[in-house]
This record gives sequence, C-alpha cells and structure tokens, in this order.
Amino acid sequence: MTDPARGSGGSDDRQDLELIARWKAGDERAATELVERHAAALARFAVSSGERNEVDELVQDTFVRAFNSLDGFRGDSSFRTWLFTIERRLLLDRRRSEKRRRDKTEIQEDDAATEYDALDSMVADETQRKLKHAVERLSPTQREVFSLRVAEGLSYKEIAEAVGTTEGAARVHYHNAMRAVKEFLDE
Amino acid sequence: MNDCPNAEIRDQLPDLIHERLEVSMRAAVLAHVADCVDCREELELLRGVRAVLVTQAPRIDITHVVAALPKAPAQRRRRQMDWRIAAAVTFLAVGGSSVALLNRTTGVTVGNGVPPVAPVIGQATPLASSAANAVPANVAPANDSQARPAQVVASANEQAAADVSPGGRFADLNEGQLKALLGEIDKLQAVPVTEPEPVSIRVDAKSPAAPDAGGGGAAHDR
Ligand SMILES: [Zn+2]
Repeated sequence: MTDPARGSGGSDDRQDLELIARWKAGDERAATELVERHAAALARFAVSSGERNEVDELVQDTFVRAFNSLDGFRGDSSFRTWLFTIERRLLLDRRRSEKRRRDKTEIQEDDAATEYDALDSMVADETQRKLKHAVERLSPTQREVFSLRVAEGLSYKEIAEAVGTTEGAARVHYHNAMRAVKEFLDE
Repeated sequence: MNDCPNAEIRDQLPDLIHERLEVSMRAAVLAHVADCVDCREELELLRGVRAVLVTQAPRIDITHVVAALPKAPAQRRRRQMDWRIAAAVTFLAVGGSSVALLNRTTGVTVGNGVPPVAPVIGQATPLASSAANAVPANVAPANDSQARPAQVVASANEQAAADVSPGGRFADLNEGQLKALLGEIDKLQAVPVTEPEPVSIRVDAKSPAAPDAGGGGAAHDR
C-alpha cells in the first residue's frame, strides 16, 4: 500500500487540517480521505508494537475515538502523531484487559504462534526475514521508536509525543535499536 | 556493519528516505552519503527495514473503518434540526386540529373571535394549498426572514396539512398560538426540510369529529 500522507511534513499537516475542517463542516468524504491517508501507518505501528490480533479493529477503534474527540485536536502535533498517541493508549488498554483475562484462564499461545507464522511467510526474501527478526528482538520501546522513525519518518519530537517520552530519550532508543539490529545482522 | 562517526548526518538518514529534508540539508546529506560507505550501508538497512515493516502490516478495509465513524458534526446538527422542525410541525398540525375539534364540540370560539372553519367537502386539495398560503399571510410579520420557515414547513408538508384538516386548518389556531409556534420555528434557524417523512400524522382519524369531516376525512383511509 502506498502512503499518500507522507512526504514533506508541512503540506501534509496542512492538508490534514483542511480535511478535518471539511469534515466538521459536514463533508463526509473528508473522513474517508483522512482514513485513507493514515490507516496503513496505524496498522504498521500496531504490528511494530507487537500487536498481531485484530489489527484492523484496533485501527478502526483509533479512528472512531479520534473523530469523536476531534475538538480536542489542536493541531499542535501532526494529525498522524495524534492518531498514534490514541492508538497506543488503546493498545495499552487492550493489553491490560487481556492480561486480566489471561490471569484467569490458561494462556493460548497457539493462536498467536499461528498468526506469527502467517506473517513470517509474507516476508519471502531471506534478507528481509533476517531484518524482520532483528526488529522483533528489540525491546518493545526500542521497536516502537525504531519503527516510527524508520517506517513513518517521524522526528524525535513527534516520536516523543506519540510514545510519551522525551526527545532525547527517543533519540537514544533509536540509536540503541540501530546498533542492536546491526549486531544481529553481523552475527 | 560500522556506525559513521558523523552523528548529525546519520540522524538525518531516515528523513532522507522519507523526503522530509529541506533542500540544502538534503544536498549536504546526499553529498556525504556519496563518499561514505557506512552511511550507504545504513541507508540500505533503513530501506530494508522500512520495506519489512510495510509488508508485514495487514491491509485495512477503509470502507469498514469509515462506516464505523460518527457522522460529521454539521450533519448531526442538521439531523437534529430536521427532527425539531418535524416536532414543531407535528405540534402545529395536532394543535390546529385540536383547536378545531374544540371549536366544533364545544361551540366555544377560541382566541380573538376567529370562527371555526366549516368543513369543505370534496375540496381537500384547495384546502391544503390554502392552508399552506394562509399561514404566512395571516400570521407572519412583514419580515421575510420570519415568514420563510412557515412557508417551507407548510409547502413541504402540504399533504400532511391536508391529512390533519378534517375541518381544522392552521388558521384555526388563534393568532397568539401561531405566532408562538412560528417563533419557535424561527429560533431553530430552519433550513429547508427535504425529508418530510416524520410528519405522517393521523391524529384525528378516529376522533368523534371525523365522520362529518367529508372529503378531508377520506384522506385518512390511505
Ligand atoms: Zn557517513
């Protein structure tokens, strides 16, 4: 899937703001455009954050929550960064409730393993498979930061907003992640 | 795989692949990369990781997501408005009929001496259109902006007016009541109602006054 919303930062943000204004004025097509622009990035971020189940549902919930609270979006950060923040919060909620459920029942690792293998087979190329495993071995925070920087091209400032850390910490996480990936590939 | 000692340039590499660099910085990074093996390798690594992350993400069904979204605020407001206007019209119509009924059954003249309107047998359509025209003419002040909502309501619901007029036209309301109702409609800042479906009122169909309602009453049997 191509990524229509990425390119030189400023004009994308402006376009998002225009679409939001159009939606607020009653143009339903603007909502479709906004979803088209950001859905793929949200799916990528979900997967990078280790989410393998019902990613589409998570993305949908993110948009629903975002549109319900659009008045709270001031445009201080980019719309996409704001969406990442919402998605991440939903993801944490989801994990918390999953953990509560797992505490009550036995862990069903089989299901997760099956989906994991399915994803694995999508990455046919050997080099790509190795890269994929390198990223998977990162700590959750490193992986989040690394993928936001590499796959989405977010600045450290934007990453800090999305994952709730500081710009400096985001930079450190990124460089540690890069080092870890290189070492894994050199093994 | 080594790290390039130029940390500043290394930091820009992801921005280079995402085309997020200013022209001058982009030129500087490209010039450096051309001479730096470490940066070229890292750039290749970044492109590879990006491709992996893009490939492994599932496709999202856009229409499915869009279908779950809330309606745009302006659409919501319009919908609410339509219902409020419909409610006002309902009140107007029911009120009109009730007053007519009251006039008929008690013989009491309501308001400032407007006589109850006699049933016009077999003339449902002229009655309806006269009801539509009568409202602004009788009640609305000269101010056009105030008169418009009443016309909109009346014309959009002409048939509804006919349905509820077994001897009870809007004119059966006294002037004060109509002014109050029009005032209410005005406060709604009405937009033209394009969906008149909420106004299918059959209030007086089974009322005691119905049998002598003649042509007007026949409309209820549909
Ligand atoms: Zn270099």
